[in-house]
This record gives sequence, C-alpha cells and structure tokens, in this order.
Amino acid sequence: MTIRTHKVAGVFMLGSQLATKGEALYGEKVFGEYRLWNPQRSKLAALLKKEENVPLRPEQIVLYLGAASGTTVSHLANIVSLVYAVEFAPRVARDLVRMSEHLKNVVPLVADAIQPDYGHIVEMVDFLYQDIAQPKQAEIAIANAEMFLRTGGYACIMIKARSIDVTAKPKAVYKREVKKLEELLDIMCVHELEPFYKAHAAVIARLA
Amino acid sequence: MTIIKTWFGEIELHDDKIVRSNVLKADAAAMAMRLQKEEFADLDKQYRGRLREMAIQLRLVTSEHDYISLLRAVAIQRAKEQITTAFARPDARIMELIGGIDDIDESINLLSERLLEWDILEFEISRPGDLTETHASQSTTYPALQHEFAESIERLSELRKKIAGAIELEMHAIAPNLSSLAGELLGARLIARAGGLESLARMPASKIQVMGASKALFKHLQFGAKPPKHGIIFQHPLVRGSPLSKRGKIARTMAAKLAIAARLDFYSKKTHPELLAQVEKRARELYKPAIRDQT
Repeated sequence: MTIRTHKVAGVFMLGSQLATKGEALYGEKVFGEYRLWNPQRSKLAALLKKEENVPLRPEQIVLYLGAASGTTVSHLANIVSLVYAVEFAPRVARDLVRMSEHLKNVVPLVADAIQPDYGHIVEMVDFLYQDIAQPKQAEIAIANAEMFLRTGGYACIMIKARSIDVTAKPKAVYKREVKKLEELLDIMCVHELEPFYKAHAAVIARLA
Repeated sequence: MTIIKTWFGEIELHDDKIVRSNVLKADAAAMAMRLQKEEFADLDKQYRGRLREMAIQLRLVTSEHDYISLLRAVAIQRAKEQITTAFARPDARIMELIGGIDDIDESINLLSERLLEWDILEFEISRPGDLTETHASQSTTYPALQHEFAESIERLSELRKKIAGAIELEMHAIAPNLSSLAGELLGARLIARAGGLESLARMPASKIQVMGASKALFKHLQFGAKPPKHGIIFQHPLVRGSPLSKRGKIARTMAAKLAIAARLDFYSKKTHPELLAQVEKRARELYKPAIRDQT
C-alpha cells in the first residue's frame, strides 16, 4: 500500500483511503499511527476525498458548529491547532466530552449555535466549520461568522438539502442557501458530496 | 472606557490598554461554576481576538499552551454539568421507559411468531397429515428448549406490565392532563415523539395530529397525495373507534385538546379533567347528523 500526503497538511492517503495521525478514539480502523477516516461517516472526509484544495492549515483555530459525537472533530483536531466544538444535544455531547478528554486541542461547548452564548469563551477563529441539519443553517452560519470569524478567514458549510426543504430539488436548495451566504461571505466553491452523502453539498467560502 | 467580561474574569480597558482587572484564580471547577451562575454579554470582536494575549498579560497563565489547557479544563467541567442537568429532566426517564415498552412489544411479537412456527413444525413431524389437531405437540425434539422459549416471552410481558406501571406513576406526576386525556402510555409516546414535554407543549396541534405519520405527510407535501388524518394519536380509542368518515374531524379535535393538555402540564401543572369530556362531546355532535341520515 502506498502512503502519500494529501494537499491538506496532516491528511494522508493510504492507497485510496483517507487517514490522519493520532490516537484511535471511536473504533476506527488503524494502520500503525494512521487512523482511517471514513467518508461515509464524516462529511469533511467526503469533501477531502473529492477535493484536495480545502483551505485547512496546521496553525488554524477552528470553530466547529454541530460537533455531534466528535467523529469529525477528532480527525480535525489531528490537522489544526485548536477546535472549539459546539454541540447542543446532551446525548451526543456526552460522547463529545468523553472524546475531548483524550484530545488536548479540543474545547467542547454544550451550546446552541442558533443563539451563540459562547461569545465570552471562544476567541476569533481562522476557520468556521458548520455541519448542522437545520432549516436556518445559512443564517446561523452568517451569525457565527460575523461574531467569530476573522477577516480573511475561511468557512466550510455542509448543506443538507433535505432538512431545509424536502419538497425542492437539492440543487435549487444549494443555490438558495449559497445566495444567503453571499450576503457576508465570498463563495469559493460548492461541492456535492455524492456518492458518500445524498442531497448534501459543501460550500467553501472566505470572509473578505 | 470599556469593561469586558470574559470566561476568566472582568477587564477594564481604556484606549485598548488594561487599566483594571479582576481575574479569577486558575481553578477549573470554580471558573465553570461562575460560567453557570453569571450572565455574560457578547464581546466586541477586537477584544475577542485578544483573549489569549490578555490572559497572559494578566498572569492568569504563562503561555498560550497553558491558556488552552485551562480553558479546555473549564469547558469540559462546564459541559459535564450541563449534560448532567439535561439528563435530569423528569420527562427523560419517561421517554426511555416508553421506548422500552415499544421495543418489548416488538420483541414479543417477533418471538411469538417464531414459537408458533416452531410448534407447527414439531406438530407436523410428530403427526404428519393430521390437520385437525390444533394443540401443540406432546413429543417435540427439544421440549425444554421450547418451554424456555415460551417462558422468556412470558417474562417479557411481565416486564412490560411493570414498566407500564412505572410510566403511569411518572406521567401522573409530570403530565396529569395528558394522562387523563390520552392515557398514560399514549401521552408518554407523544412526549417521546416530540422530544420532551416542553417540545410537545410548544407544538401546534396540527403537528401533534400527524406526528408519527411523517411518511404520509411528506408524500402529501412532496407529491400531493392525500394528507394523513392521524399519526400516533390513532391509538386513542376515540380516534380509532370512530367511523372512517369522522375520524379526521375527531383526530383534529383530539390533537387540539392534546396541545392544550400538554401546555397546561408544562406551564401550570393544574389539572383540568374536563378536556376528555369536551372531545367526547364533539364526537357526539359529529355522530348526530349521521344518525339522522340513517333514519
């Protein structure tokens, strides 16, 4: 098996499989010091598998909205310097906190991204990552970007078309959401996450 | 002059210089406690960008590395407390219990079907061609095993009874109106579906009416199929027992009253036993013209 580096530093390709280096935390497959990163379980992995030009860098501070049980967070923590992981639902936040105890660069926050009440804790960040299945997710991304994203910082927003409007065509939903995001952010690209996720798209944007 | 309140203390700034400060001791438990007890306003962007720098300048910590490890310890402590509080909600237990009942029902059905098929097989083997006899066979190959199988099903239904008793107790305590209108089990199911008594209390009646019929509802919204008349409220005897032509109307009334009951339970706790009688009255009104038609 050949191991090569991904364009995103800290990410590796073991053959055709994505991986990061670190302690295994949720039962993922491990090869030596590499933890495999399943694109069917993490939208960020699906994005990285399809697109290598993702503006993630080792020195970045990330604000992660919708951390869930921390699967993606744990890999992201292997890539960047610090992750503020926000999750609202107590059941999955429990798993997130347990995982954070093993990750020295994850700050877990049990909070609602719709009403960001972590303004006195989170500093300015270089990267905003959002993976929340909410009808108002674009508005939530904008509100958080306005508060926490530094000028010149990047945002990656995972749009789940099915939780915004089930009756509309996914492509139409992406278009509408991108338009909302354009009010604040410069859109760099939109990637659909097929075949790993149905009716999902990743929007990468920059705050000018 | 600006005063900012951060997770590690209050800081007074003048022309972007710190003039006064009240910084806490680097004690994660005490800091987490303060986060819970006090109110915090949003910070201005320019100060948010300087949090690390100010914490070091004020000698809370000596390095950026220490800043992160202290903040992380505080956040983990605070998160654990928030999670414990969230789990301590009185309706959380009801949701687990009713989920248990539904799982047990499913298991009992599954196991009973299997046992029946097994019985038939053993019967056919021991008495081929005799279709008149319906009793279980006397001479099975694994009598002890089959007996134990049946006993397990028995035990499950015993357990179900006990859980139902527990739900009744819990429901009377936290949702008396829902219990008297819908019955304890259906009431509990509604709470579980909604994701808690508060969510149910905030739900419009129209949503309560079709809760549990999401497949049909989305078929309606997406493709214009007929809208569903009822979701899990079909389980209510007044809805289930009504003729097809009246069922939609009764389901609507029932949902409206259930919404009221949930709100009473969540916001006031006063009991209003007349709710069920009101639905029954509406049902009688609906039946009247139908009776006239017949005569």
